[in-house]
Amino acid sequence: MPDATARLSGALAVLVLAAAACGGASGPLAVTDVWSRASAAGQETGVVYFEISGGASSDALLGVTVPRAIAAGAALHETVAADATGTTMAGHDMGDMGDGMTMQAVSRVPIGAGATVVFEPGGYHVMLLGLVEPLVAGASFEVTLTFESAGEIVVVAEVRE
Amino acid sequence: MHGMSAPNRGRWRRRVPAALLALSLLVAACGESGPYIPAGLVRTPYPEVGHLALPESTNGGADFNFRAQPGELLLLYFGYTGCPDICPTTLADLRAALRQIGDRAERVEVAFVTIDPDRDADSVMTAYIHAFFAEGHGLRTDDPDLLATVSAPLGVNYSVSANPDGYIEVVHSAWVYVIDEQGRLLLMWPFGTEPEDIAEDLKHLFKDLDADA
Repeated sequence: MPDATARLSGALAVLVLAAAACGGASGPLAVTDVWSRASAAGQETGVVYFEISGGASSDALLGVTVPRAIAAGAALHETVAADATGTTMAGHDMGDMGDGMTMQAVSRVPIGAGATVVFEPGGYHVMLLGLVEPLVAGASFEVTLTFESAGEIVVVAEVRE
Repeated sequence: MHGMSAPNRGRWRRRVPAALLALSLLVAACGESGPYIPAGLVRTPYPEVGHLALPESTNGGADFNFRAQPGELLLLYFGYTGCPDICPTTLADLRAALRQIGDRAERVEVAFVTIDPDRDADSVMTAYIHAFFAEGHGLRTDDPDLLATVSAPLGVNYSVSANPDGYIEVVHSAWVYVIDEQGRLLLMWPFGTEPEDIAEDLKHLFKDLDADA
């Protein structure tokens, strides 16, 4: 699998560059790559993902809102492993992927100085509750993120397939 | 696909980590002659699930057996439409994988079972699965015993419970099950399996299938 090796060395290179970048002054807190997944008719929930790059000092994400025309509400969530019934399959170490997954509300996401926190499938995400209309690929909408120090930051989520 | 990012680098993917990397290095060292190691988990003997069936929302409630059509493969998943993160990610990953296997995608059927039938009406199920797969199958039963009966042999875990504050908490396992025309569970992928790896597994399964035919 030369592919995996190439990917690994690529990742290492990025890591080295990132480490080097930490030597200099970091910019302000930034939110990038904001996207949402298209939803089906009748589907009540949606999701928003993004990447947060911490600024020169530590901060924390406290809350999120979207326009009422998009959804009735929005919340910070995290997908976590959970014990459902504790069933395991003999001979296989299912790790924490085997049992169950669930979501829990998150009230505060710490963002370390210069750190990157990724909201992504299977991890932190913004859950949209009560979608007003289906989210259509290619559309976009505003997302307001509230940070402890940086205050409100408004970004635009692109709806993807 | 959008070039801006790989949207599916979930943390579950990163857990697969060093052991698999070491394994793939070992396999690479063996050259081309080594056996194919699937990304999915293979249980032996294959669990037999072809006798199990659920009503199909997308087909007027007719029984849908956990068995592929002749010469095809069935991909079965258990989730709920109110699931914002895990379920859509998995279905989108499957869709991405099927786009990588050419004509063989026409020999793959996808079925989505709701573990939250109280909130997932038949009409919702149909719209939901068809948003991902034009000919996908939505399966739903009101009978909790039947759902438990068909879940057990696969190893599906789930619970839907209301918190005191009214919030409905859903816990569910998130594997995709690959079933052949004999109703044998050939393979299962954990959440976070890359579409490329799913596609590669499917190609090998079809190679075996067509060799046996």
